[in-house]
Amino acid sequence: MLEARAIQAAYGAAPALLDVSLHIAPGELVAVVGPNGAGKSTLINAMAGLHRLAAGALAVDGQDISRLAPHRFCDRGIAIVPEGRRLFTGLSVRENLELGSYRRAARTERASAMEQVCVLFPVLRERLDAPAGALSGGQQQMVAIARGLMARPRFLLLDEPSLGLSPVIVQEMFRAIRDVNAGGVAVLLVEQNVATALELAKRAYVLDEGRIVAEGPPDALLAQDRIRRAYLGGVAA
Amino acid sequence: MPSATLLGQSVLSGIFIGSLYGLLGLGLSLSWGMLRQVNLAHFALAFLGGYVTYQLAAVAQVDPFVTLAITVPAFFALGMALHWFLGRFSVTLLNTLLVTFGLTSIIEAGIQWFWTADFHRMESAYAAARWKLGPLFFSLPDLITLGFALALSLGMWGVLRFTDMGKAIRATTEDAPIAAAFGVNEKLLGYLVSGVAAAVAAVAGLCLALSHTLAPVQIYAWMGVVFAAVMMGGLGSPIGPLVAGIVIGVSEAVTMAVTAPTWAPLVSFSLLIGLLLFRPARF
Amino acid sequence: MKTTLAACAAVLCALPFAGLPAFYETFLYLLLHAIVLATSWNVLSGYSGYFSFGHGAFFGVGVYTTAALAGQRGWHFLWTLPLAALAATLLGVALGAVVFRVRALRGELFALLTLAITFVLSTIALNTVDGGPGIQVMVDIPKIAPTPSGALYLLMLTAAALTLWTAYAMYHSRFGTGLFAIRDDEDVAEVMGVPTYRFKLAAFAISCALAGLAGGIHAVFVSYVTVAETFSIALAVNVVLMAALGGTRHWLGPAVGAVVITVLLYAFTSGEAAVAGRALSGLILIIVIVAMPEGILGQLLKRFRKAPPKRAPLAPSRAAPRSRQEASGELLLEVRGVAKAFKGVQALAGVDLEVRRGEILGLVGPNGSGKSTLINVVSGHYAAEGGSIRFEGKELVGLPAHRIARAGIARTYQIPRPFPQLTVLQNVALPPMFGQVVMHRARAEEEAWRWLEFTHLGDKAHRYPGELNLHQRKFLELARALASRPKLLFLDEVLSGLTPAEMDAALRLIRAIRDQGATIVFVEHVMRAVMELTDRVVVLTFGKAIAHGVPAEVMRRPDVVQAYLGTAHA
Repeated sequence: MLEARAIQAAYGAAPALLDVSLHIAPGELVAVVGPNGAGKSTLINAMAGLHRLAAGALAVDGQDISRLAPHRFCDRGIAIVPEGRRLFTGLSVRENLELGSYRRAARTERASAMEQVCVLFPVLRERLDAPAGALSGGQQQMVAIARGLMARPRFLLLDEPSLGLSPVIVQEMFRAIRDVNAGGVAVLLVEQNVATALELAKRAYVLDEGRIVAEGPPDALLAQDRIRRAYLGGVAA
Repeated sequence: MPSATLLGQSVLSGIFIGSLYGLLGLGLSLSWGMLRQVNLAHFALAFLGGYVTYQLAAVAQVDPFVTLAITVPAFFALGMALHWFLGRFSVTLLNTLLVTFGLTSIIEAGIQWFWTADFHRMESAYAAARWKLGPLFFSLPDLITLGFALALSLGMWGVLRFTDMGKAIRATTEDAPIAAAFGVNEKLLGYLVSGVAAAVAAVAGLCLALSHTLAPVQIYAWMGVVFAAVMMGGLGSPIGPLVAGIVIGVSEAVTMAVTAPTWAPLVSFSLLIGLLLFRPARF
Repeated sequence: MKTTLAACAAVLCALPFAGLPAFYETFLYLLLHAIVLATSWNVLSGYSGYFSFGHGAFFGVGVYTTAALAGQRGWHFLWTLPLAALAATLLGVALGAVVFRVRALRGELFALLTLAITFVLSTIALNTVDGGPGIQVMVDIPKIAPTPSGALYLLMLTAAALTLWTAYAMYHSRFGTGLFAIRDDEDVAEVMGVPTYRFKLAAFAISCALAGLAGGIHAVFVSYVTVAETFSIALAVNVVLMAALGGTRHWLGPAVGAVVITVLLYAFTSGEAAVAGRALSGLILIIVIVAMPEGILGQLLKRFRKAPPKRAPLAPSRAAPRSRQEASGELLLEVRGVAKAFKGVQALAGVDLEVRRGEILGLVGPNGSGKSTLINVVSGHYAAEGGSIRFEGKELVGLPAHRIARAGIARTYQIPRPFPQLTVLQNVALPPMFGQVVMHRARAEEEAWRWLEFTHLGDKAHRYPGELNLHQRKFLELARALASRPKLLFLDEVLSGLTPAEMDAALRLIRAIRDQGATIVFVEHVMRAVMELTDRVVVLTFGKAIAHGVPAEVMRRPDVVQAYLGTAHA
């Protein structure tokens, strides 16, 4: 279980997260939606160890990990697919994937993990030695997800994977995410494509101005009219 | 027109001086390319290493190579300290140039305080060893410099290209936080690179002491040409400075043989300017 | 204020006649000399951000011009001064004309290039004019003061006054504002209408001229000129040090730094003390860079900055928008066969496209189809390779971006790029100052206020962009693009990252913009927005336009559906 317990974080001088608590059980697919500026990216970054907490705690299986240095988070089974991909563009696709499995425990499984991600995203197999920066946006997103998987995570955190991609690619992406989750990896999905995110997720949180304002299964959230109007806009019920 | 022997000797001495440019440039290139820190003080450090080597040899008859056992770890620590300082105060790239210039002034003043502005030349058994290859001469210090330059450059290249740690360093250069998310300890690597770069300065200092006269004012004389080598070789490239250094060294030496020594600086700087103007995309 | 200035000037001019010992006249001369060099360096490097390590080269050209003409050829000294300035200027302009065209030569590369120039020039000087031993410059110094040192002091005082006045005038002018924008983000400044190449060249020329002038005077002061002393690295770096110490963002900063450094250096003149002095100045440099990034003056000004004046709410009558233009159907922009490649990837492969006046045109297509590239090419951010782009009948291909901005085209950036060191108000006031109708600052700021209120950013006017969140920065982009009252506006994915509710607000704003009379090209992925908002739509795939027409029809075409929409929206 990956938990955030009453966490607070700031973005520069401004508070970004105030008293946020959420959890992901092993194998779950949980979505986080909310208006821009709500703090969704800060939340994901904090849970991956990329953003310092002002207060509160993060825990994996009950053990507090908040004090850990950023490079130790992946050892606890957390991997991130950051907003905007953030691949190592000067390195080849293969090297990007190898770096995904940099942590010691993942290194031993590197070969089999590489095989697995190539099955998940067949197009990668042909582009393994190309510089990562030369791939199209959709392909780069695949590399980013694959890189996350190379770390053999228990919890995969995805930050707006559909941003800037065409609907066709987005459909493929979400299919892959569903497959990954079916394989046993818990997924936390922060998404602006609210409709699809709620389609995939069993549970969702709604974040607004740094606080969780609603939580529950997608149907329940959609039924609460106020929330639907304010955050989900014109999405069909 | 100079004779074939003179030209040949020029080319040979150009290779040797070029390898020293490469050695001096290696550390600079690494910290500039990988850490985004332009360490102007690298030259002053190398000279400091040279002076310490000279001092121990002159006063206590310590073999210069043995001195490495002192200077390399000491400079490694200095490199890490500098990295800490620049990181602690979030010094931007352009400002590292200025800060390390300040550091250069301090080190240079320290050198002048201790050893005065006079020239010093280290006497050693190594300097006396010379060989003849056909009509061409070369000395042991020359070979030692070339040897170190080749070993360190090629070694560095291999590490960056083939080892996990090398790839991690390259990844950190591009996007440190994300590299950290995958387990790369960027802080540690930063200190490592910084320490190694400074340790290389210690080795360069030894080579300087073996083959050249030492004077504080000389620190600035090498700056321009080594920067030219670093930039021509490509920032962060381990082999680049060596190749570029040799190209510069040879063209300088040949110019000197064909015209006059005072024209030599024109060659390297014109090459650099030309490269900057016509192939700036390399940087 | 003016009387204090006049009084100071009178006192300074009268000093040589007060019978001071030569030591003080010399000290004051050196102080003024430092002020001239540091300030002249700053009008290029501090204002525009192009940090030069070659100021010594232009100073040296001035020195050697006077040394050669007056020292070797016996010309009258004063006549050589304008020639010294001219020689340095010509060299600077020749260099700048080439270097400033190369986009990649900025930052530390420009610094090192200028350093290399110094070495090259010194080598040339050594081997030609100088010959090795140096040049003796023994000339008659005009008798404008009781002593020679006094006369030189007065000459340098004149140079210093000229330099400071130049720096002050530039700082408060439109020229200066443009330079500071270049420092913050040159590419964006160019697209907003600042003629960056011309401005940089002019600043470089002024900087070199003043350095050359100082050099000419200095040749007589030292009376024996050598290459090593003149073209030393120490001068190049000291100049940077002085400006950085005082503050590069202000016209008076370098002068403050020059005074501090000169006083320090003079406190240590002899032997061992000189060594300690160098160590100390090194230490000071480190401390200043680390602890006072804005410099002494900058830091002081920040501390004692006056609160900006509160603005009275805009009277409704002044906010009259332009009358709504009916979509007239007249051809505004015509793109024919435009191509653009990057490192082997053909981003645009012959695009044909028309934009009609008064319409909202949607530009859609899969990822990588070339939409952003097209915007970049039309606005001049990138150069087109082939094809033609006609705006109101005028050909745009080949024009620099600032001329395209002047013609009336504006764009927003997908990832907002405000000028980080200018306030929100200053950001929005920049395009009106350089746009179609060139306004002076006061009028431009009025215009800026209007657009800030239109985009609900009025209360953030005096904040810096770093303090805004993404949503506000996108609206800042919008305000800035609108401030020059463009005829054609390109919006690059303004809606990405917004929630459905915020999107509604943005869509209302965009309709209001069109009602004000602008034609809009709207690049977007969000299908709902495209369907609701646009009059016509153009679909790009693989760098070609494959369909255009009314959204409802175009989006139903099988080839479009297949290439772009997939099954989810069928």
